Amino acid sequence: MGFSKFYNSTIKLNIILIISFSISANSFAALPNINNAFYVLFHLTYIYLIFYHYHYYIYLVALIYGILFDILLLNNTGAHIITFLSLLIFFVILRKYLIRLTSFQIIFIYFLTLIILFFIEQLLANLIHNYTFNMSSIFNFILISFIIFIPTVFLFTKMDK
Amino acid sequence: MAPKFQIKVVQLSRFVKNFTIISVVTLSFLLVFFSKTDYYLISGIKNLSSSVVIPITKLISAPVNVFSNFIDEYNQFRSLKFENKILQEEIIRLKKWQTLAIQNSRENKVLKKLLNATDNNLTLVKTASLINRNDTIYSKLINLNAGYEDKIEKNMSAINERGLVGKVIDTTSNNSRVILLTDPSLSISVKSISDGIFSLLTGNGDGKYLVSSFVKENKMPRLGDIVVTSGTAQIFPVDLLVGKVAKVEKNRFFVLPFVDFKNIDYVQIVTSK
Repeated sequence: MGFSKFYNSTIKLNIILIISFSISANSFAALPNINNAFYVLFHLTYIYLIFYHYHYYIYLVALIYGILFDILLLNNTGAHIITFLSLLIFFVILRKYLIRLTSFQIIFIYFLTLIILFFIEQLLANLIHNYTFNMSSIFNFILISFIIFIPTVFLFTKMDK
Repeated sequence: MAPKFQIKVVQLSRFVKNFTIISVVTLSFLLVFFSKTDYYLISGIKNLSSSVVIPITKLISAPVNVFSNFIDEYNQFRSLKFENKILQEEIIRLKKWQTLAIQNSRENKVLKKLLNATDNNLTLVKTASLINRNDTIYSKLINLNAGYEDKIEKNMSAINERGLVGKVIDTTSNNSRVILLTDPSLSISVKSISDGIFSLLTGNGDGKYLVSSFVKENKMPRLGDIVVTSGTAQIFPVDLLVGKVAKVEKNRFFVLPFVDFKNIDYVQIVTSK
């Protein structure tokens, strides 16, 4: 029964990953912030999967989505793939410390990780692909993160029961 | 015998997991390396993404697309009255220009005959429609429904009825990818029509303006001056309309492109004759 619950929520989270990836990879002229919102949602879901549903298959998920995001948004591989895999490796190293934290501390780290991911992605895009470091884009992501973070976490925890 | 067998299975499983992790990490770093050297693997992935992944993502995001189109049409409907007024004013202005253009065209023909000059016209390779766009996050890219089977090659120019749209950066059999002028990583060499000032323009990052990254002899063009491709870098054909000088500062100037990048449906892929 327990395994079935875990299995179902993992599938749901992966469906959210696919939908948020698809919407963030297609720009809509009339709704530019929809892309950004779903881009943030993708990162939120990915971090949640790592934190609460860690499994070896996530390495494959990180590889596939990392490549696709890089190819579709930057036309080169690098920034996303490195960021996604580095986060996984850091999580594995720091997992024993994360377990000791309270739920509030974990939520805080969850949010902090999200913001750091956006910074690292921009930084790597700048270093590897000479993409201009866009602070307004970062602020836009942070603002969207502030708006959707609590409802998303609430939805995910409801999903996990 | 049974416990021994179980231990072996656990060891094998751990080995497989560790092997998977190491190979995934190694593969990702190899991909990053190959992306810079443009090996067969990367072009294969790009091909796969444009022929398989983009249609799937388009299908999944179709409801959002419908909603976006609805909002777009509603906005257009709301601004009809205002647009009508602007268009009427533009018609009057264009009529004046038309008479002038006819005169200039006749004069031009006569002068060309006198100089025995040849026309520097463009060759139309293909008119392609837009499949999808990735111009909100990071790069400003659009994908077209024509590829190397339609004789589209890398570095060809994409234009529409208003002027220069961008440059082809990738082609697959049936798709190609165009980087828009507003992308900060694209540089175009331009000249101003009235003064012939040569400069380099790049995207400003806001997706709206182009900013000068280099101006020859630090001569600034005048406000409202029209900017066209200079053809000096031999990437874009000469004299393609780019935009109008919208703001001039001490060391740089801003150009508002003629092309409305939010409303691109069709582009023409051209090359110089």
